[in-house]
Amino acid sequence: MIDHLLASENYGVAKKLLDAAALRHEALATNIANVETAGFKRVDLAPDFARQLADFSARPGMDTIEAIHPKVAEDRLTQAMRPDGNNVQVDRELLEMNRNALEYEFLTQYASDSIKRLKSAITGRIQ
Amino acid sequence: MNILPALATTSDALAAEKTRLDVIGQNIANAHTTRGPDGNVYQRRVVTFEAQLRQAIGIDGGSLVSGPRVAAITTDATPGEAVFKPSHPHADAEGMVRMPNVNLSHEMVDLITASRSYEANLSVVRTARQMAQRALQMGR
Repeated sequence: MIDHLLASENYGVAKKLLDAAALRHEALATNIANVETAGFKRVDLAPDFARQLADFSARPGMDTIEAIHPKVAEDRLTQAMRPDGNNVQVDRELLEMNRNALEYEFLTQYASDSIKRLKSAITGRIQ
Repeated sequence: MNILPALATTSDALAAEKTRLDVIGQNIANAHTTRGPDGNVYQRRVVTFEAQLRQAIGIDGGSLVSGPRVAAITTDATPGEAVFKPSHPHADAEGMVRMPNVNLSHEMVDLITASRSYEANLSVVRTARQMAQRALQMGR
């Protein structure tokens, strides 16, 4: 039972995604912090994180999850709209940050529920 | 990892924006200063930011996460307009007074931009706090 709850793939993915959401918050905070820095290029989660997640859903397993490492990389796709070469748009960053925070909330709720289930299995009481 | 993610970056940005607000305030305050301590007319100051690299904040280390800092406070050398005021104590032989090159409407626009950036950074802190609270309530 304990194995199933805390070593399940979903719980492992939730942990990884929580790490990724916290890292993404840092990236978005950096973008907002540097909105007035000339020549700054926005940063975000590296695109290979999405690829690694897709690999995981194709071949699920705890070892595949452990191999996933979210990283931050410069966003080369967004064009700079300003003459100083800075490609940060505050409204977009704030929107993404709110979305990211909501995702984080969902993931903490999922992890929380997993722990609560384990707790009620141990105590025999419904929390 | 920090309990509040990105706090260092955001606090750098808040400090930098605060400096910018200070300098804009100084420009507005000196919009009519025709003599400074150096004996010359006041020239507006401009703040420039630069990104600084912060190593190993990310989970994996070596991530490209950086906060801004004030690179320099430079003096805008553009000459201000000359006004004909023969009665002014700082007027030259032709009765012309060199005014500071401060344009109030430009300064106001910069002031609003800086205070909006400050607010955006504050909302980053608010979100980080909410996220930390959620993390602390896990399993409750």
